[in-house]
Amino acid sequence: MAADAKRPDGGRTPLVQLRGLTKSFGPVVAVRPLDLDIYAGDFFALLGPSGCGKTTLLRMIGGFTEPSGGTIAIDGVDVTRLGPEKRPTNMVFQGYGLFPHMTVRQNIGYGLRLARVAVAERAGRVERIMDLVRIAELAERRPDALSGGQAQRVALARALVMEPRVLLLDEPLAALDLKLRKQMQEELRRIHRQIGGTFVFVTHDQGEAMGLANRIAVMEAGSCVQEGGPEEIYRQPKTRFVSSFIGEANVLAGERRAGVVTLGAGAGFAEAGADGTVSVVVRPEDVRLDPGADAEIRLDGRLEDVVFLGPYTRYRVVLDSGEEVVVHAGDAAGQAVGERVAVGWRRDRQRLVQGS
Amino acid sequence: MLAPAAAVFAVLFVAPFAFLFVVSFWRVKTFKLRPDFTFDNYADTFTKYLEPLVFTMAIGFAIATLTTALAFAFAYVIRFKAGRHGNALLVVTLVTLFGGYLVKIYAWKTILGTEGILNSALLALGLVREPLTIFIYNPGAVVVTLTHFLLPLAVLPIYGSLRGVRDITLEAARDLGARPARVFLDVVLPQCLPGVTAAFAFCFLIAAGDYVTPRYVGGPYTSMIGNFIEGQFSLKFDWPSGAAMAFTMLGACLACVAVSRALLGLARPR
Ligand SMILES: Nc1ncnc2c1ncn2[C@@H]1O[C@H](COP(=O)(O)OP(=O)(O)OP(=O)(O)O)[C@@H](O)[C@H]1O
Ligand SMILES: [Mg+2]
Repeated sequence: MAADAKRPDGGRTPLVQLRGLTKSFGPVVAVRPLDLDIYAGDFFALLGPSGCGKTTLLRMIGGFTEPSGGTIAIDGVDVTRLGPEKRPTNMVFQGYGLFPHMTVRQNIGYGLRLARVAVAERAGRVERIMDLVRIAELAERRPDALSGGQAQRVALARALVMEPRVLLLDEPLAALDLKLRKQMQEELRRIHRQIGGTFVFVTHDQGEAMGLANRIAVMEAGSCVQEGGPEEIYRQPKTRFVSSFIGEANVLAGERRAGVVTLGAGAGFAEAGADGTVSVVVRPEDVRLDPGADAEIRLDGRLEDVVFLGPYTRYRVVLDSGEEVVVHAGDAAGQAVGERVAVGWRRDRQRLVQGS
Repeated sequence: MLAPAAAVFAVLFVAPFAFLFVVSFWRVKTFKLRPDFTFDNYADTFTKYLEPLVFTMAIGFAIATLTTALAFAFAYVIRFKAGRHGNALLVVTLVTLFGGYLVKIYAWKTILGTEGILNSALLALGLVREPLTIFIYNPGAVVVTLTHFLLPLAVLPIYGSLRGVRDITLEAARDLGARPARVFLDVVLPQCLPGVTAAFAFCFLIAAGDYVTPRYVGGPYTSMIGNFIEGQFSLKFDWPSGAAMAFTMLGACLACVAVSRALLGLARPR
């Protein structure tokens, strides 16, 4: 998890300000009016399922897609109507978009050439950035002679060398295999630490968002449903969607009447709020089998499945209500599949969200 | 697998070519071919036919340049600007190929001739009092006719290579600060250079080798080297001279194409 989970602003103005930003493609609303602040130094993740509008949002920030409404300000300057060539942003495209007719070195140096950076300085900066992303030995290769991971680094270097105020990355690691992805995540973190820029990246992989970002905006169907630090989003999901999208979560249906919540599975507790259906969300690692006295919520069921996963064991319990609860526990207790068991958790470990 | 292909290739392409090449060093006596080894035929070509040879190269160059430029504009619009109408445009372009070669020549005769559509229109509009004769029977008419004929053939390879240019590379260039003109010069053009070169070479070779178009719309003073070569083979029955002229023209054409290629290659980024 990123070290800096707290807001790095301290009252400063945001580097990127999105206000009422929206985009429709004909009848399809890809991004609903949305406000978002991104601060200098942030490693910011736009997280959401496929088709929720992440790419569209990122492309609007980069200037590739014209918004249907709203404004984008970077560094206090309204850039809504500016093309990508006039914005202080650079993009790492999902498909890399390397120039096939140029060598790696020419690809990386192209932006500096356009900016009329003197030859000697240009060469130095290209050299340094190639060292940073560890592709120095590929300098004379053409893009078609690169592996996916290498092409990805070249694309990253080509954007980074411009020293953009905001670096935009669209699913930068999606095409890589698991091992390479982990390695590149570490490199991205190292690079972000080393150069200290502002990164905004799109991903549908919650693990990647949690592992890289210090701020996460969770998107659902074109809207930003929650924004915050990784821990906040994990611990205090605002909606059922967020809770189930970020990590594994047990969601139990209940009903609130006059400040008392009664779960369909049996247990009840007092918690003030509007009457109606509610859901209780609790993480598998917060649920105990055979809970001790400190567990305010207790439910009975039957142990259905036990899987040993190394660091922890995963228990699947079917409650008497028919609902399922998954438990992650470090120490394998003696229960056998088919036995009656009790599960429970502390009140402060659960989240109550309105609706089902 | 390779052997049959090589055999077909040898019979269809290499053998006739090699035969003509050998013949170009022979002589003709009393309408009979006599094996020999003389460079006289080549010497004759340069002394007697230098002017039409140079003229042919020049007009071929003009036609190829014009056609390639127009075809590029057309293919560019189809690829980048026409959106989903692009395919319809492409089909229309290709359908004109079915018209055939002679049909196009006669079409232009009817348009450019003294009694043609163009003159009728000018007369009807009262812009001229007598039909103009400047439209046809000159090199310009040959250029117009051949350009029209070659255009779809040139659009194809250029469009093919433009399709290989991914949109994302254009966006990446803009992202790095390139204005539209720079995107075109630095990213689009270099990526489609093979297609452009192919189209140019193709147009040049066909235009320079043509002898039908000049005969129909070129008038008596627009004879291209092909017309003279045809004459050597058919009227004079002087195969060795005809062959020597054909190979000289081929050499000149390849040299022109090579020079053009080198010039185009300067567009590459450093
Ligand atoms: N050019 C376009 N024309 C029409 N609809 C589009 C266009 N681009 C995106 N959309 C639609 O907008 C919605 C959001 O698309 P977007 O590409 O932003 O999703 P995404 O979150 O990036 O998804 P993924 O994770 O699959 O890349 C989708 O419903 C998509 O079909
Ligand atoms: Mg996307």
